Amino acid sequence: MTSEIVAEIESEARELRAGGLVPEGLEDELDKCFEDVAEESLAAAYASATRTSGAPRAELGRLSSLVELRRQAERLVRRRFGPRLRRIERRAALGARRAAEAGWIQLHVTADRMERLAGHSPLASRVLSTVRPGELAVPSSAARRPAIEGALLSWTLDRLGSAPRHEGAPRPVLHAECGDGRLVELLAARGLDARGVDPGFSARARGDASTVAGGALEYLGATPPASFDGLLLTGVVERLRPGAARALARLAARSLAPGGVVVLVSARPEANMAKDPVTADLALGRPLHPVTWCHLLAQSGLLDLEVFEPDASDPDAREPELFAVSARRPDQARDGYYDGGARGRR
Amino acid sequence: MRARPVRIDQIIPSIVERDAVSHHTLEAQKVLHSMGFVSEIYAGNMGPGLHGRVHLLEDLPREPPERQWVCYQASIGSPAADVFASHPGLKLLDYHNISPAELVERWLPHLGGEVRLGRRQLAELAPAVEFGVADSEFNRLELEEAGYRRTAVAPLMVDTTNVFSPPDPRLLERLAAERSGGGHDWLFVGQMLPHKAHQDVIKALVLYRRLFDPEARLHLVGRESCPAYADALHRYASALGLAGAVEFAGSVSAGELSAYYESADVFVCCSDHEGFCAPLLEAMHHRLPVIAYGVTAVPETVLAAGIVLPSKSPVLVASAVHRVLTDAGLRASLVQAGLERAKEFSIDAARRGLVQAVEQVLQAA
Repeated sequence: MTSEIVAEIESEARELRAGGLVPEGLEDELDKCFEDVAEESLAAAYASATRTSGAPRAELGRLSSLVELRRQAERLVRRRFGPRLRRIERRAALGARRAAEAGWIQLHVTADRMERLAGHSPLASRVLSTVRPGELAVPSSAARRPAIEGALLSWTLDRLGSAPRHEGAPRPVLHAECGDGRLVELLAARGLDARGVDPGFSARARGDASTVAGGALEYLGATPPASFDGLLLTGVVERLRPGAARALARLAARSLAPGGVVVLVSARPEANMAKDPVTADLALGRPLHPVTWCHLLAQSGLLDLEVFEPDASDPDAREPELFAVSARRPDQARDGYYDGGARGRR
Repeated sequence: MRARPVRIDQIIPSIVERDAVSHHTLEAQKVLHSMGFVSEIYAGNMGPGLHGRVHLLEDLPREPPERQWVCYQASIGSPAADVFASHPGLKLLDYHNISPAELVERWLPHLGGEVRLGRRQLAELAPAVEFGVADSEFNRLELEEAGYRRTAVAPLMVDTTNVFSPPDPRLLERLAAERSGGGHDWLFVGQMLPHKAHQDVIKALVLYRRLFDPEARLHLVGRESCPAYADALHRYASALGLAGAVEFAGSVSAGELSAYYESADVFVCCSDHEGFCAPLLEAMHHRLPVIAYGVTAVPETVLAAGIVLPSKSPVLVASAVHRVLTDAGLRASLVQAGLERAKEFSIDAARRGLVQAVEQVLQAA
């Protein structure tokens, strides 16, 4: 029965067209209108991504004016030449789309291969950078690791300086993947016994006692328990597979002295993506979501989980590139009975 | 007859509450328990509220096939597929479809890479999987095309909280107040993702308002999972002068969802790709006539219980809505057929499908 009704509905639709009730070109105009707003929205998303990664504002202004200029030119041409140009326009759009698709496919193939190489390498945890499919969408800015600065820097340094002093000698604060050691110096300037470890050349080149060369996982794995009052994790946390992320959380908890604080700073995973943690965590090689890190740190026996959130009223901080999570290892004086993180007074 | 294993564990890339595949996985665990198997869920990532019910993937036990089977819930590319592939146990795969990359990557480049990976992993897993289960015939055929030797259809275990929750009274009141001014209410439910093609429902609404009912409204319910696409839809509605006629409800509670279903006059779906489309069945359960573009698994889900259109030309969709809303006899027959179709997808029927699939594997030599 339904096939007969569909045939009748098709016939009614044809009659509507034939009767002139549906203006010629209206459906094409609806399609075109959506393509226009789609381009505006994608340009706005691109501008938002580049603004938060520090692209010069003049460049963004130029981008907006180019979009507007293109729209004006299109309107003029449409008015002057009308339907004759539509066929040419469609062909050009089809050609451009095919060229773009071919480019995308090649980029995805390359990215997938690099992902697999990194995943199967015994040095996977030391890979300094991994090309991820999504990063290819924002060509120039995403490859650069954003600096920890401003409110995030203050928050990070405050947390690491807040670990309550336990009985006995104070223990150092370690920055795992410290890069050129800038944050190690800032921590030292606050009177902390700060040290750094990094798998890259900059730590080796530095060659002083405060920084040494090495991967974070290996270094923490070889360190005796309760070695640090503070632990700052950056860089490595963005490139771990799920199992390694859990191992890192456990190693971090193990390496902290009672009352010690860990701060983890990572790129946000969800730019241009769904905002819920699970969807954000789906991709190979994409940084984990703050909520996921909270779960992992809590499962490792740490307390007082806090997530650094940017000031929502600050227009420049709408899509911040970085987030931070801090947590504290329980200690007997403050939290009551402590048996290694599995139980305690909560 | 194959030896009965002690345990059948499930592997899922990511699990979160109020998600169709996640809900299906939790229901499947209950079915496996009822069959006497030890069964746990192991996820690459888990959302809040599931801790204790779901384990992390690295805790998955690795036992031989006579003691352990593993079932992979496949819906996207994930490292969890590698864990599944390398597991020594007998392997089952439950396929929920993977959206084609070309429909999503313009808006979500990350997701484009993930779905490409998912398709590749699906093909790579085929030789290792003993039995493939799909939640629609459309999905089962994709499994066959990917090289799976033995397959069967076992329906999705739909989240019945969406269907049976009492409607939110405040929302019902607001929607009734809107209706008092005249005009019919269209409804579409689905995450705001590009392959759901919300823009095509809006286009059809433009024609419908112009031709038949200038006061008609459209309610779009579903999480705005792609900010750029959602932004484009908001801009589109404004550019067409429909800002007051198109409601972007976003993610809603089960009670609010029931209220939208109860208040609407027609459910309109113009998706370009659906592996099953549970909202079609929810609409039928709520006595809502369904009009849908007949692509991918949609015709199979709807069958004769709705109007399945061969194209989604705005004039055709608008004409179909007009016909359904003005032909009382047709509307009544669609509602009745929808109620019967929805019953065929009851949770009990879906559970029986999974039990039969497991028994088929047990009986295989």
